[in-house]
Amino acid sequence: MSAVIFPQRLARLPGWIILAVWTAAVLLPLYILVVSCFKTTAEIYDNRLGLPQSFAFDNFVRAWTRADLGHNFINSLIVTGGAVILTIVVSAMAAYPLSRYRLGWNGIMLGLFLSGIMLPIRLASVELFTLMRNLGLLDSLTGLILVYSAIRIPFAVFIFANFMRVLPSELDEAARMDGAGEARILFQIVLPMVKPAVSIVAIFTAIAVWNDFFFPLIFIFDDRYKTVPLAISVFVGQFRTDWGLVFASLAISMAPILIMYCLLARQIREGVGAGGGMK
Amino acid sequence: MTKLRRMTSLQRTQQRMAVLFILPALAVYGLFVLYPLLMSLWGSFFAWKGMRTQEFAGLANFSRLFVFPSGARLYGALWHNVAWFFGIMLLQNGLGLLFAWLLFLRNRGSAFFQSVFFFPAVLSPVIVGALWRLLLAPGGIVEWALNGLGLHQGSLTVLGNSHTALGMLIAVDAWNWMGLPVLIYTAGLRQISPQVFEAAKLDGAGNARMLYSVALPLLMPALGTLTTLSFINTFNQFDIVYVMQGVQGNPSYSTDTLVTYFYRLAFGAEGAVGITDIGLALALGTMLFLVLSIGTLLMLRFFDKRTVEL
Repeated sequence: MSAVIFPQRLARLPGWIILAVWTAAVLLPLYILVVSCFKTTAEIYDNRLGLPQSFAFDNFVRAWTRADLGHNFINSLIVTGGAVILTIVVSAMAAYPLSRYRLGWNGIMLGLFLSGIMLPIRLASVELFTLMRNLGLLDSLTGLILVYSAIRIPFAVFIFANFMRVLPSELDEAARMDGAGEARILFQIVLPMVKPAVSIVAIFTAIAVWNDFFFPLIFIFDDRYKTVPLAISVFVGQFRTDWGLVFASLAISMAPILIMYCLLARQIREGVGAGGGMK
Repeated sequence: MTKLRRMTSLQRTQQRMAVLFILPALAVYGLFVLYPLLMSLWGSFFAWKGMRTQEFAGLANFSRLFVFPSGARLYGALWHNVAWFFGIMLLQNGLGLLFAWLLFLRNRGSAFFQSVFFFPAVLSPVIVGALWRLLLAPGGIVEWALNGLGLHQGSLTVLGNSHTALGMLIAVDAWNWMGLPVLIYTAGLRQISPQVFEAAKLDGAGNARMLYSVALPLLMPALGTLTTLSFINTFNQFDIVYVMQGVQGNPSYSTDTLVTYFYRLAFGAEGAVGITDIGLALALGTMLFLVLSIGTLLMLRFFDKRTVEL
C-alpha cells in the first residue's frame, strides 16, 4: 500500500536519513556507555569513540564489589519478583469475579480500582511514610513490595478484567458442573486462557518496579536494603570522577532490562501500542 | 422451581466468593494508595508541627504557599513544569508523529526502528539521567564532539547554566520517551482504513497534506492519550531532575519542579539544614492533585469531542 502512496525511491531518501539520525541518537550514547565500561578514566578522555584497548572487566569487578552493587542487585531482584507475583495473584483474583460474575456492584468496584491508574501517588508520600513507619515497614523490602503492588494493582485489574470478560461463559459453567471450586476455576482454567494478559502485567510491572527510584529514596536508609536505582543515584555523586566505574555500574543495572527487552521486544511494542500500558 | 433455587444459591455463593477474591487486592490498594492519598488531602487543612497534626487551619497552608518565601519557589516550579509540558509536546510528541508517519510509509524496517526508538523508555530515568549527565559534563563526549565539529569552543556547561539547563533536561526526557508516541501513533495509523489514504491519493494529496488533513484528524484518540500521559508525567517529574541537577533543581532553582519542591518540603532539603514543612507540602500536594485531576478530565473531554468517526 505504501508503494501506491509514494512511488519514487529517491523521494524516500530524506525520510530514511531522518530515521537513521534518530537511530544514531539512541544508539550512540548506549555504544559509548558500553565501550567506556572497559576503559580507564584516562582512556575515556584519550580515546572517545574507539573500542577499548582491552576488554578488561576491572570496572565491573570494582562496581560489583567495592561499590557493593551486587547486594543492591539482589535487593532489586527480590523486590521486583515479589511485586510481580503479588500483583498478578491478587489482581487476577479480583478481576475474575468483577469480570465474570453478575454481582450488581461490578461497575462501582471496577471503577474504584481503575481510578487508581491515574492517581499521583507520590503526592501521598508523607502519609504513606507515616503509615509505613507505624507498620514497621521502613527499611524493608517487604514494605517496598507492598507499596509497588498497591500502585500496580489498578492497571493489572484493568488488563485482567478486559481479557477475562471475553472468554466464553461455557468455560467456567462446565467446570462448575464438574464440581470444580472457584479458586480452581480461576487458577487452572481461566488464568491459563489469559496468558497474554499475564505477560503484559508481568512485563510492565517488572519494568516499573525495577526502575523506580522515588520510593526507595523515601523508605530505605540502610545500605543493606538499597535497590539498584537508589544506589546508582548515590554513585553518580560519590564516584563523580571515576567515569569507568560509573559507566560500568550503569551497564550492570540496565543489563536485566536489556536482556528482557531483546527477548520480549515484540510483546512490549504491542502492549504499549494497544493501550499505552506504561507510565 | 429447583432451578430457580439453584440459581439463587449460585448467586449467593458468587457474592461470597467475590468478596473473598476481591479482598486481598482491595486491602493492599486501599491501605497503601487510597488511605494515604485521602489522609494527605485531609491533612492539608491542618497545621503541622514536624510530623504531627495540630489544630484545623482551614486554608492557611494554601495561602502560605503563594506568598513569600514559598511563592517564588512555587511559581518558578510551576512555570518549569508548564514549559516542560509544551517542550515535550513539541519535541517528543511532535517529532514522534513525524517518525511514526515515516515508518508507516515504509513496509521495511518498521519493527526494527520501533524497537530501537522505544528502548530508552524501558530504562530507569535514573540511568538515563546519569548517562546524560556524564555525556554532557564539562570534558564529556558531547563537548568533545561539538568542539571537534567546530560548533562550540571550550568547556561545555549547558547543565550548569541556568538558561540552558531546563531545556537540556526536557531534551533528555524526550530522548527517554520518544518511543512511546512512535508506538502509539503507529498503532493508530494502522487502524485507519487503507482506502482512506488511497482516496486521498486519488484526489492528488501529497504526503505532507495526507498526514495533516487525513491522518491527523483520525489520530485524535492517540494524540489525546499522549497529551494526557505527557501532562501527568510532566507534572510528576522528579527523577531526571534529582539525578542530573540535584533535589534543589540547580543551578539556582532553574530546573526546580513542583514534585522536587514537594519533596524538599516533605522530606527536608530546603536549604542546607533540611527543615520540613509538612503543612505546605500537603497543601502543594492537594493543589497538584486538583491540577492533575481537572487537567486530565478536561483533556480527555477535549479530545473525545474531536474524535472523528468514519
